[in-house]
Amino acid sequence: MTAPVPWSPSSFTGADPAYLKVRMIRWAIYSTVFLLISLIPLGLKLFGLGVPSWLLTTPLLALVLALWDLRIMRRQVKALGYLEREADLVVRSGVMWRKQLVIPYGRMQYVEVNSGPLERRYGLCQLTLNTAGSSATAHVYGLPEALGEALRERLVAAGEEQML
Amino acid sequence: MNSEENWQRVHPASPFVRGWLAIIGLVFIYWRNTEDWSMAERFSGPRLFWTLVSAGAALVVILIFYFFSWYFTRYRLTDTHVYVNSGMLIRSQKQARLDKLQAIDIAQPLGARILGLAELRFDVADGSESVLRLAFLRKAQAQKLREQLLGRMGSPQAEVQPEAVVEEPPPLTARVPAGRLLASIFLQLPILVGLLVTVSLLISYLLGAQGVLAGLIPTALGLGSWVYKEINQGWNFNASAQDAGVRISYGLADTRQHSIPAGRVQAIMITAPLFWRMLGWYRVQVNVMGTKSDEDDNLSVLPVGSFEEVCRLMGILLPDLGVENQREVLRTAVSTGTAHGFTGSPSRAKPLSPGAWKHQGFLATGTTVISRYGWLARQASFVPHRRVQGMGWQQGPWERRRKLAGVRLYCAGGNIMGYLHQIDQETAKEFMQAQSKRLAER
Repeated sequence: MTAPVPWSPSSFTGADPAYLKVRMIRWAIYSTVFLLISLIPLGLKLFGLGVPSWLLTTPLLALVLALWDLRIMRRQVKALGYLEREADLVVRSGVMWRKQLVIPYGRMQYVEVNSGPLERRYGLCQLTLNTAGSSATAHVYGLPEALGEALRERLVAAGEEQML
Repeated sequence: MNSEENWQRVHPASPFVRGWLAIIGLVFIYWRNTEDWSMAERFSGPRLFWTLVSAGAALVVILIFYFFSWYFTRYRLTDTHVYVNSGMLIRSQKQARLDKLQAIDIAQPLGARILGLAELRFDVADGSESVLRLAFLRKAQAQKLREQLLGRMGSPQAEVQPEAVVEEPPPLTARVPAGRLLASIFLQLPILVGLLVTVSLLISYLLGAQGVLAGLIPTALGLGSWVYKEINQGWNFNASAQDAGVRISYGLADTRQHSIPAGRVQAIMITAPLFWRMLGWYRVQVNVMGTKSDEDDNLSVLPVGSFEEVCRLMGILLPDLGVENQREVLRTAVSTGTAHGFTGSPSRAKPLSPGAWKHQGFLATGTTVISRYGWLARQASFVPHRRVQGMGWQQGPWERRRKLAGVRLYCAGGNIMGYLHQIDQETAKEFMQAQSKRLAER
């Protein structure tokens, strides 16, 4: 993190370390599914069907992509973060393609807190902040449930204050 | 006011405008089924009697349906709402709150235009598909109603005397002659390429390559529908200043009208495709809340026009650009260069955008962010600070190596955004900090 960004990385609140586990389990599930799908040509070959030989490399490709994904996952999760400022919320993400999204509290339309089965298991949730513009939607991943609720309350309060 | 508290019916010819195709369809079915009879056989002797009786019966049934459809379609205007009830067996009751209305448009399908009727469309703020339609009224009556309702919606400029509205056309801001429209359409690079592909496919087909037919037909159809859409959206195009906004009307078969109050405009984009620049032509598009219920791209408020017309339109849609020399700033915004305070991309951006880097730039004024980007088709977008919903900073690996960054300003109502492409990363940082303060001020 050498390159300067609008707000220093240290001031952000990062995702909970447990979120990495959620991502890894999700990675394991998806990778297994993709590997199984990529094995189909090989299976057909075993049953004696004519399959172009280049199709037999798909499992290798799937494996390489999955391992690459796993390799950068830790850094990706570390790069996630949010920052509550006086008048807006800043969310950042990305390692190679870095992004920061600023949503002024006054533009907020509604706040959602979601948690899937995997996230619930680790006591985490995900907060989504919606505005009138569909591209201007902020996601805060890997929040501990209590923190997520509190953040939502604060955001709603700040939004009401700004609306006046 | 009292008469308007009561329910009123639409024009009696309304069901016919919707249903004339059904009558033609019936006649067509009859004709097809009696094809083996001669004219004399059809209309002579006992057969004439039965033909007349069944035609009469069909007509009566249709008329009864039309009558009930008309009878049960009623509308009512109050000081706060528009109500439209319709349906005989399945009744539907719809209403729209006047203070939630984004726009009231007048549309004229082909059948309605022949009969001098018009349909009122009420666009509601929530951006959903549910457009309230009131069909059909006499055109003059529809216009009068629209004026009245616009007045009640609360813009003080819209308080107009009903008589004056119909007679005196509002001052014309821009119109598009047919020749210029056609020229402008075929001077767009994607259409030229499509045309070239179609013609070369056609030639190779005529020279005996049968196989290309499979490619020729979809290409020609796609190109044709695209060109037709462009023609339809620019044909007989008029933009006039009205109600502290603009009213546009256009259409080849159907005449459509939109009014765009300046206060509802979220973002504006001026595009100058490659060949248009030589002729000094521009296209102006806007993001508006609510209006675009049935089309997917941005609303054109000027399909093709000169810089003069662009200036006039911008003067209405964005009266306060936040600078003193608006005209010069506009000129710089739609052309190139860094005059009047524009900040461009540093030359480090050249390897990343060899064509565009020289022309990219932005200017943040007291009210608006102006940004210019694009290579062949050059675009300038205008995003008022108050309309920005969110601001995104981004940096890819190649940009990082060259100490560049991009900033996007996202808006509601469409996909136009402010786009500060590949600017110096320190400049981007300063801009983000300054802009977030401006966004908070509202």
